Formats: sequence, C-alpha cells, structure tokens
Amino acid sequence: MALLERHEWYDIARSTNWTPKYVSEDQLFPDVMTGAQGVPVEKWEVYDEPYKVSYPEYVRIQREKDAGAYSVKAALERSRIYENADPGWRSILKAHYGAIALGEYAAMSAEARMCRFGRAPGMRNMATFGMMDENRHAQIQLYFPHEYAPKDRQFDWAHKAYHTNEWAAIAARHTFDDLFMARSATEIAVMLTFAFETGFTNMQFLGLAADAAEAGDFTFASLISSIQTDESRHAQIGGPALQVLISNGRKAEAQKLVDIAIARAWRIFCILTGPSMDYNTPLQHRKQSFKEFMQEWIVGQFERSLIDLGLDLPWYWDKMIAEFEYQHHAYQMGLWFWRPTLWWNPAAGVTPECRAWLEDKYPGWNASFGQAWDVITDNLLNGRPELTAPETLPIVCNMSQIPICAIPGDGWNVKDYPLDYEGRLYHFNSEIDRWIFEQDPKRYRDHMTLVDRFLAGKIQPPDLMGALAYMSLAPGEMGDDAHGYAWVEAFKKAPPLAAE
Amino acid sequence: MALFPIISNFERDFVLLLVPVDTENTMDEVTAAAAHHSVGRRVAPQPNKVIRVRRQGAKDFFPRDKRLGETDIRPMEALEFIFADA
Repeated sequence: MALLERHEWYDIARSTNWTPKYVSEDQLFPDVMTGAQGVPVEKWEVYDEPYKVSYPEYVRIQREKDAGAYSVKAALERSRIYENADPGWRSILKAHYGAIALGEYAAMSAEARMCRFGRAPGMRNMATFGMMDENRHAQIQLYFPHEYAPKDRQFDWAHKAYHTNEWAAIAARHTFDDLFMARSATEIAVMLTFAFETGFTNMQFLGLAADAAEAGDFTFASLISSIQTDESRHAQIGGPALQVLISNGRKAEAQKLVDIAIARAWRIFCILTGPSMDYNTPLQHRKQSFKEFMQEWIVGQFERSLIDLGLDLPWYWDKMIAEFEYQHHAYQMGLWFWRPTLWWNPAAGVTPECRAWLEDKYPGWNASFGQAWDVITDNLLNGRPELTAPETLPIVCNMSQIPICAIPGDGWNVKDYPLDYEGRLYHFNSEIDRWIFEQDPKRYRDHMTLVDRFLAGKIQPPDLMGALAYMSLAPGEMGDDAHGYAWVEAFKKAPPLAAE
Repeated sequence: MALFPIISNFERDFVLLLVPVDTENTMDEVTAAAAHHSVGRRVAPQPNKVIRVRRQGAKDFFPRDKRLGETDIRPMEALEFIFADA
C-alpha cells in the first residue's frame, strides 16, 4: 500500500483537540497557563502553522544537521583555529556560550509550556519540535565549548554563568524569565518566538555564522548555521498566534506583549552583539557596523513583519533607532572598564585604525566616546593602570539589570529615569525601560539589582573583591583586556585622535 | 553621621555611579567623592573650573558649604556634578 503524502494526512493527524469528560475545559486549559485571553478554543483552531513537518521528517533532518556540525568539529579539532584566532574572536565565543547555552534550556521549558497549554493544536505540534530544537541547542552549545575548557578556564562559564550572580548572568536571567519562563503559552508564542526569535536571534545567528566563517572558525560557523535553521522554523509559531489574537479583538494586548518583548530583546542584543561587532571583531573581518546591521535587519526587515501582521510599530520605535548610534558604545565602555566582572576578556577595539573606522561609521564618536577613551589610553601610556580599574559599582537599571549609561564627552546625555513606586526609588536607563516596569509593577517591584543587594549588605566584604566573590569569579576567570593592552603601543607613536 | 549612598551623574562621564558619602559631608566634599571616580579616569580634568552639584534637571547648584544632612536629597538620588566657572 502506498504511503499518503504528508499534506493528505497532516491536518487530520494534528486535530488533537477533544472534549474533556472528567474535568472542565477551564481546568484542563486554565487561562493563566494558556494566555488565551478569553478567545474561545474554536477560534484558536483556525491557527495554521506556516511550516509543516512530520516527525519522521524532523528526525531525519535533525540527524543530518547534527552529523554535519559534529563532523566539521571532529575534522577541524587539530587545525589550531582556536590558537590562531584573534583574542577578540575568542572573547566573542566565551560571551556567546555563557550568555546563550543555558538560556536554550530555559527556552526548551518555554516551548514545553506551549506543547502542553497552547490552545491551538498546530501550535502544540510545532512547539513539540521547538522543544526538541532548544534541547539540542543547549546540548550542542555546551559540548562544543567543553573542548576549550582545559585550554582556558573562562570557557567553563558556558555552563557556569547562569548558576552565578555575575551581573550579566543576572541580566540574562531577568530578561528570559520575563520573556518566556514566567509567561503563558500564548505570551511565549508572541514574546519568545515572534519578537525575540524572529526579530533578533534568527537574524543575529545568520550574521554570526557569516562572521565566524570570515574569522576562519568553521566549527562555530557550522554550529551556528545548524541552530539558525531550527530557529527560522520554530520562530514561526508566534505569527499565527498573533493573527488569532488580532482577529478576535485582542490587538492592544498583543501589541503590548510585542512592545515589551522587543524592548527587552534590544537591550540584550545591544550589549552582547553591539560590542562584538564593533569592537571585538578584528577590523579586517568587519563587514558592516552594528548600526548598519540593525538598520538592515530590524528596521528594514522586522518592521515589515510587524506591519504585515496588522500590528503598529512600538511607540518607542524612533527612540530605539536613535539608540543604535550610541548605546552599545556606552555598554562597550562599561564592559571594558568593569572587565574583572566578566567571564570573558573584552577587546578594547580602540587602536588608531579602529577609532578611524568608528568615526567613519558613527560620526562624532571621537568627540564623545573618544574623549573618554583618551583619558583611559593616557593612563595606560603613562603608567597609571590603576586608574583604569573600577573602584565602585555602576548603577544598574531596574529593568535591564545593565548599567545605566549613554554618551560621554561633548554629546553628554547621561540621565537617570527614576520612578518612585510604593516608597522605593527605582532607576531606569530610558523611558522605554521605565515604561515596561509601569505596565506591571507588581511583577517587577521585588527584584533587587546587584546595587540593591550591595546596599542591603548581601555582598561582603563590601568592596570589589567581595563583589567578585559574590559573582563567583575566581582568579583565572575574571576578565582582562583581550590583547594584554598591546593596542596601547600604537599610541606611543601617535597621540589619541580626539586629542589632536 | 550616617553613611549615605548617592548616584553620581558626572558631566562628560558615560555612566551613573554609586558613591557612598556621609550626611556630615559638605557639598564640596560630596563633589570630591564623586570626582574621585570620574575625573582622571574617563573625564579629563578642567583645572580652571570648579565642580558644583545639583539635582538632576535643576538649574541651581546646592551651596558649596551646605551639609548633605541639611538638604532634602534622598538616598540613591541621582545628582549632577557639573564643571562651573570658579
């Protein structure tokens, strides 16, 4: 007997809704877990996933993907790519693995929630594959860096980061808890798969795979490509869910979820990807600036996805685009200045040639960020390295958990965005971060930033060494300049550009 | 005497900083504490200027000899430290 084609049986096979006999519909699918927002189940049944795959097809394709990535890794194990790579590239790898690998496990839990509580059978079906995708991503992104752990202890943070109170790990956990660990199935579909994955990760991974190939790291390039193809499939869970919400009078609710998720995703990408592209990537390997990347993919592509679905652009869209000019430069300065608090070694990325590139891509960089780097460079040139080391904590945003920072020097625009709520003074990096808090203050009010914990006496002794111990950063793990300050040598011949 | 944390938003620096001061400190002493973490680290000194402090968004500076405990500044309030003519 001939087998049926997939399209001949798929719709019937995944019609898995039923009428419960022993419990009520509400008990089986409580709204708090489904996030169906009162839209009845029959309205959800029109959900039509754009990407259809059967289980045998999924297994065959995933097996091929794994075989491909692991074969490239095995073939290149003796190639000394790692040893020969620029230290800036190694820093990108360390930051990536620590920030992402265990986040994938969290995403697996979120996909599992959609498997169980998704109101549409199609959503549950796609999320089953999505759950297995994320499990694979967590495991492969732990296995690959494990090879490097004996060579460099910072790679141990691929697994360790999420289990610590290191500040960037707190920022990642706070964001991911908000976007998908502590959300309903529908909210996860919108916030994780549509906003975070379609908007950012899917495109980010495309760029990262190209950068890895450019840097000669074909092992990482094949790993990332293998993940990206999964992302581009399961990221499509959110679109049809948004269509159901919008066509059933829930546009305002859907819009709010999208607006919160994009704003939170932007902060994480800004601090992780911005410095990677514009500072850690060696100059000769840079194809476009972070700003150009954001304008092409987020403004050019993602903006269209929002409009096509019938959503509006987030109210803060222009403010976010304005941040493309400066926010990641400020984050880079913070990462480098507080480098002992990182599990990777940030590259300064401010040689005379790099500064010329930054000025070209971001006119005015020398008069703003350049002036602050002048003082740092001058201290390193003149034997005052202690003045380039942190002695106090930066104030951390009560939403992003990232230091509140902006433009120094001539364009100085640093500002606190405070909020007095129930007698506690909260601090935010921008109007956007504060707006998120105001949407659901009870959800966020009790969280203590690293600075709050310091002031509450939870960090002992109350100094930098106490803070590093609190963050579980042992000697040999804490970050330092990626190039051992070799970049300063160039300035012995020529003064910093902004000082000319 | 009581330890009193404030937030320093120092002119021409890029980040808000935690600065522990004391209620007995004068505004000049508070300013010196804030300057320690910014000037000569990421902000170039301006020897011909003095540094004055004001509330975020305010026009007027606090009097230089006023003690912190005599003001209505709240713990963890963001203060602006500005280079001004001597």
